[in-house]
Amino acid sequence: MTDLSKIRNFSIIAHIDHGKSTLADRLLEECAAIDKREMEEQILDSMDLERERGITIKATAATLNYKADDGETYALNLIDTPGHVDFNYEVSRSLAACEGAILVVDASQGVEAQTLANTFLATDAGLEVLPVINKIDLPSARPQEVKQEIEDIICVPAEDAPEISAKNGINIHSVLEMIVKDVPAPKGDRNAPLQALIFDSQYDSYRGVIVYTRIKEGSVCAGMDIKMMATGAVYKVVEVGTMSPKGLIPRDALGAGEVGYITASIKTVSDTQVGDTITTVDNPAATPLPGYRQVQPMVFSGVYPADGAKYQDLREALEKLKLNDASFVYELENSIALGFGFRCGFLGLLHMEIIQERLEREYNLDLITTAPNVSYRVTTNDGVVHMVDNPLDYPDPMDIQLAEEPFVKVNLMAPQEYVGNIMDLATSRRGEFKDMVYLDANRVELHYEMPLNEIIYDFFDALKSRTRGYGSLDYELIGYRPSRLVKLDILLNGDIVDALSFILFADNAYPRARKICERLKDNIPRAQFEIPVQAAIGGKIIARETIKALRKDVLAKCYGGDITRKKKLLEKQKEGKKRMRTFGTVSVPSEAFMAVLKLDED
Amino acid sequence: MPLFTGKNKTPLGIYIHVPFCRSKCQYCDFYSVTTKEDKWIFGYQEAVCQHIREAGPLAPDYIVDTIYFGGGTPSFFGADGMAAILAAIRKSFTVSNNAEITFEANPDSVSDRLLRRLHSEGFNRVSLGIQCDDNDILKRIGRPHSYEQAVAAVRRIRKFRFKNLSVDLMYGLPGQTLEAWERTLKNVLKLQPEHISCYGLQVEEGTPLYEYKDYCNLADDDTQAEMYLSAVEILRQHGYRQYEISNFCRKGNVSRHNLKYWNGEPYLGFGPNASSDFGGSRFTIVRDLPAYIEGIRTGGQVLTEVQEIGSRDRAGEYLMMKLRTVGGIDPKVYEKRFLLPFAPLEKYLYECKDRNLASKTFDGRWHLTPNGFLVSNSIISDLLLIQEQQ
Repeated sequence: MTDLSKIRNFSIIAHIDHGKSTLADRLLEECAAIDKREMEEQILDSMDLERERGITIKATAATLNYKADDGETYALNLIDTPGHVDFNYEVSRSLAACEGAILVVDASQGVEAQTLANTFLATDAGLEVLPVINKIDLPSARPQEVKQEIEDIICVPAEDAPEISAKNGINIHSVLEMIVKDVPAPKGDRNAPLQALIFDSQYDSYRGVIVYTRIKEGSVCAGMDIKMMATGAVYKVVEVGTMSPKGLIPRDALGAGEVGYITASIKTVSDTQVGDTITTVDNPAATPLPGYRQVQPMVFSGVYPADGAKYQDLREALEKLKLNDASFVYELENSIALGFGFRCGFLGLLHMEIIQERLEREYNLDLITTAPNVSYRVTTNDGVVHMVDNPLDYPDPMDIQLAEEPFVKVNLMAPQEYVGNIMDLATSRRGEFKDMVYLDANRVELHYEMPLNEIIYDFFDALKSRTRGYGSLDYELIGYRPSRLVKLDILLNGDIVDALSFILFADNAYPRARKICERLKDNIPRAQFEIPVQAAIGGKIIARETIKALRKDVLAKCYGGDITRKKKLLEKQKEGKKRMRTFGTVSVPSEAFMAVLKLDED
Repeated sequence: MPLFTGKNKTPLGIYIHVPFCRSKCQYCDFYSVTTKEDKWIFGYQEAVCQHIREAGPLAPDYIVDTIYFGGGTPSFFGADGMAAILAAIRKSFTVSNNAEITFEANPDSVSDRLLRRLHSEGFNRVSLGIQCDDNDILKRIGRPHSYEQAVAAVRRIRKFRFKNLSVDLMYGLPGQTLEAWERTLKNVLKLQPEHISCYGLQVEEGTPLYEYKDYCNLADDDTQAEMYLSAVEILRQHGYRQYEISNFCRKGNVSRHNLKYWNGEPYLGFGPNASSDFGGSRFTIVRDLPAYIEGIRTGGQVLTEVQEIGSRDRAGEYLMMKLRTVGGIDPKVYEKRFLLPFAPLEKYLYECKDRNLASKTFDGRWHLTPNGFLVSNSIISDLLLIQEQQ
């Protein structure tokens, strides 16, 4: 076990795109944990999606052995955190495993909403926050101003913050020295009862679940019987060790202050919830570590295979994803329109997109997804409270005593010239203005309370476009509030397409209904007959469009030389029809579903 | 020659692709070159004749009852070359005494000499590309002739006693209105052709028209549909019976050659980019004149695509091709030939009937109505899907 004084546990926090992952890569390189050539491989091996979106989805951790200028070798445990509001809880648990946080701030962008939100998370967890100014080599860099911003806005001393370029490897050494000097060494009693914080876990088909943990008190070694304090699951430890970028390195034991992994032939990640405390069966800790919370999905959507025959494939793919992602839930759903599929719950919209993209890419599935919705709380006349996360389960309006929807506290930050735009946007999304704070001469933070439902579609994109990319956003759930809700049904050729139904705020129903009808009209191909597209609330039609009958789709010429080519054309048309879903007499391509989802984009 | 030669032989069509044009039309994606150099003209003629001589012995059990010189512009290629190729066919194949022998012609290359020669060689049907009666539009789409030239050409064709004249017309051309189209039809009807083909303009990728299709005032689908239905009606009133999506004739003067395509009967094609359906396979010759000439000369490969068509494919083609014709599809033939049930298709066809897109004859056959022809791709692809799911 490494001496406590030679251990530093830290995370890197940043606003999206400020260079967090690049700095992490550079630190690994600098400590020769990994050489340049392997670096490439590591990049290739990690999730494509993360690289493409420039965000970290799964937290990762690694131990770096760093020989500092003082001649001593330190074990630097880097705990990477996910960088999106959807994963706030995961971030907070990763931070709880550290004593310090490197705050990366872009030298031209300065402080943004997530810089602030993540810093608060870090200070709440009692961490030493150490700013680093990144992208110093950009022509637009303004390091002195940004340092001042950091001091003014988040009250963290920034005068001596290293000015670096993670991308070009400038000044990385000074970051490492800062970690050694300024991140406090961990404390803890290695003889006390075990308290180990789970900050991540991952399923491995050979070893079962690999639990990533920070030992807070006590020690753990192979052969011990351990217990997850929240879930109550008991296992016998098979192996413990530390993480290196090249893989897992088995060790005899892990002691307080250390970061490492535990394997114990654990079959499912739901037994190893992020934030839970591991203790021993023989000598259990009196209390678990604080801060554990059961993860609650916030956004729900129906996920169906575009080809109904692929239902089993989808089921297997979901099972596999679930092995590695305890925050994502699903259950069987049966739609009259789409057949068998799954109602899935996600932490947020990004989480939803990620899962869908992974299903499509890694499991090669074509999906139809229904409009995302939040979980509504509905009290019926008989006094029973229902949590409704599927529009199909929405009670009859006559039976409803009280309908409530989840509200969030939203912090919006942008240069002051965009305040008007932001206010317009927030008001149009039923935002209730709370207050506005000048962070400095130019930068403003606005606080709103608004329904979560208004944020989950495209709020972030709308904010970005109305603030020329400068606006940033952070939100947290504050509870349920009464609301006037209605269920909107869509009818094609007179038949309700259940998969297109959704719940929304009553005042939004008319404009939304009109838009959906227009979108469907544009995206459903003309058929051999006229198709009315209608939107209705409880049987009352509130919008209508008509898809005119197909007039002309004919091959004028088809002679000897044309047959092969024209046959291919008709085959292609036939294949296209195969991918459509038939509702009564109307065929709907999956693009039409997507078009309805992307409703707010214009 | 015995009188009843061919009595027990299978009928065969022969198509000769003549890849020469004076100029390329803006919408055309058929293979042709705009040259009349002797090197290519004679090289081509030689290659086709040799190709025919080599193929003849492979089809001893067939009797050729239709021959079609298409293009390109056969009339631009010239009478001597066509005569030589026809002679080669007669020499290498058994040709029926009453074979239909067609050549395609453009009004600007129909000379007295050409007509005299071809008539004496036994050509008995002319397919004349007129397209439209508006000289501005003709110019715009790159036709190398005027409407007046077309009228004069018809007069000459009649003078040389061709009794079976077909004219090609197009609707949906740039700038063409429904009224202009109806006027074209009425003017052309005065010429009293035995056969009329009315083609909706298809904008094909790779043609010059494709590049500016959005800027040349093309009729929209609804207008094109009106144009089509109007043609069907006007021609019907003048005694022309529709027998295929785009084809109409008086007094039974159907194109026997083209019917072979729609009826799935065998044909052999010669010349670059010509296709064949013969011996259960479909094959296409290379779309390249020099390569064709070289390939034939050296005994090399000239086919680019050879496809054996299985029974299941034939069943699909039966629907696809037969539904182009007014003869339509015959459930009894379908079930017997392909051993597939017709009932699922019929269920769908009854739905089409309710929408006035299809019609069932007293003897149980199904064919599309003019409205059905207009959306035939949609109907056929539905039928193919139903067929596949059996």
